Amino acid sequence: MTAVLPAPAATGAGEQARLVLEVSAVADAAPGIRTLTLRRPGGGLLPGHPPGSHLVLDCGGRRNAYSLTGDGMPAAEYRISVLLCPDGAGGSAAVHRWRAGDRVTATGPRSAFAPVSTARHAVLVAGGIGITPLLSHARAAVRWGRSFELLYGHRPGAGAHLAELHALCGDRLGVHEDTAELLARIGSVLADRPLGTHVHVCGPAPLIAFVEDTAGALGWPADRVHAERFSAADLDPGEPFVARLARSGLRVPVPAGTSLLAALEAAGVAVPSMCRQGVCGECRLPVTAGRPLHRDLYLAEPERAAGDAVMACVSRCADDELELDL
Amino acid sequence: MGAAHTSVPRWPAAVPAVDPVARRLALLGLGARGAAHVQRWRAAVRPGVPVWAHTAARADDATLQLLAAEVGGARVGWRLLLAGPEVDVLAARAVATGLGALDSEIGVAVTSTRRRRVWCAHCRDTTETTQPVSGEVRCRGCGRRLHVYAHVSRRRGAHLGFQVDAEELP
Repeated sequence: MTAVLPAPAATGAGEQARLVLEVSAVADAAPGIRTLTLRRPGGGLLPGHPPGSHLVLDCGGRRNAYSLTGDGMPAAEYRISVLLCPDGAGGSAAVHRWRAGDRVTATGPRSAFAPVSTARHAVLVAGGIGITPLLSHARAAVRWGRSFELLYGHRPGAGAHLAELHALCGDRLGVHEDTAELLARIGSVLADRPLGTHVHVCGPAPLIAFVEDTAGALGWPADRVHAERFSAADLDPGEPFVARLARSGLRVPVPAGTSLLAALEAAGVAVPSMCRQGVCGECRLPVTAGRPLHRDLYLAEPERAAGDAVMACVSRCADDELELDL
Repeated sequence: MGAAHTSVPRWPAAVPAVDPVARRLALLGLGARGAAHVQRWRAAVRPGVPVWAHTAARADDATLQLLAAEVGGARVGWRLLLAGPEVDVLAARAVATGLGALDSEIGVAVTSTRRRRVWCAHCRDTTETTQPVSGEVRCRGCGRRLHVYAHVSRRRGAHLGFQVDAEELP
């Protein structure tokens, strides 16, 4: 018998395939958290991905990134779990209105929070809906026989995926409904783990800050600690500057309160962008002169120090002029 | 291949300091000058922080086994400071990184770059030499004349060597 797989969609260099997906099932994972199962309308395998990857969904006039909770092996279905944010911009509300049979479009999967393949052990820390990429990590660790433990903190009664997490992780799972208890547990774990351990944390900003600060104080180098944030913090309007485009000779003023990305777009310069909040890395631009004022969550510390790239959606310039290789 | 793109290590000019956040320190000194660095580092460690210190003439098998035992039992928060000739420091580094240590957890003071080890791409034996990069050395395993190439394997702690006339042979 011969299995026929659908041909992969053609993509240009550096460009990712647009996926047309059909919602095949909708379930409530916890109060306010909806789990959606997505598949190709005609069936067939979806692209595999590193654990901790996300899918960028077109929802409610926005493009939101949602973590895939599977182990990343090519499969017929993707699963995401989406927390309804009533005060958000409307993306999660749109997702919560979707029903089985609806067609949706997406980009990805994209990887920005992958496990470290050389790690001797992984400490996974999840706060609230931050469990979703770490569920993916835990599934992959179980599949490949990698050493890990998962600390999951959530509000009382608001835990998602608890039954499958218990079945998957057994005594490698610690669930905490009390924040103080969770933080104490994190502190004792970080105080005594074998050299070669890596930490992956996803959750609210204060949880990530706690993990980073505690790890730092206990002598963990920053490159053992990996965080995935929900979104950038609120940013101040910043100082005005001028973007000089080295190739076209164009000079684009960027007033306070206007992003470099928005100013370039208004001047007719097309810049690929997606999240517009310093997370996804899509709008990275090459810098040839001027000091970037980095305000994104995407670039790593050595990339920031190099000063040769800037995330146009949130970052600005420490000088009067920023020269871009455009 | 231009010199700008080489894996031959360029060591920092400054001697690394004891990291104040370290919760345990491993100090390894090779040769007399390496041992002197270990003595200074040991004096700079905060009281109460456990220290493993070892000095030896060379990073020989016995020394590397002692280091491997220390790294294998280490917990995160551990730092390694190495001092000695490049050839010995590279061998010790390879042991530590092979057991999970990161660059950010290892500080290095190189006291000499006179000697190097050359790994033969043909018979896989390793020969120590004082020949410089681009020099020539006879492989102790297969007897071939090897070109000392400007590539250092961090995993082996050795330069790549290949037959000098490999490109001219018919």
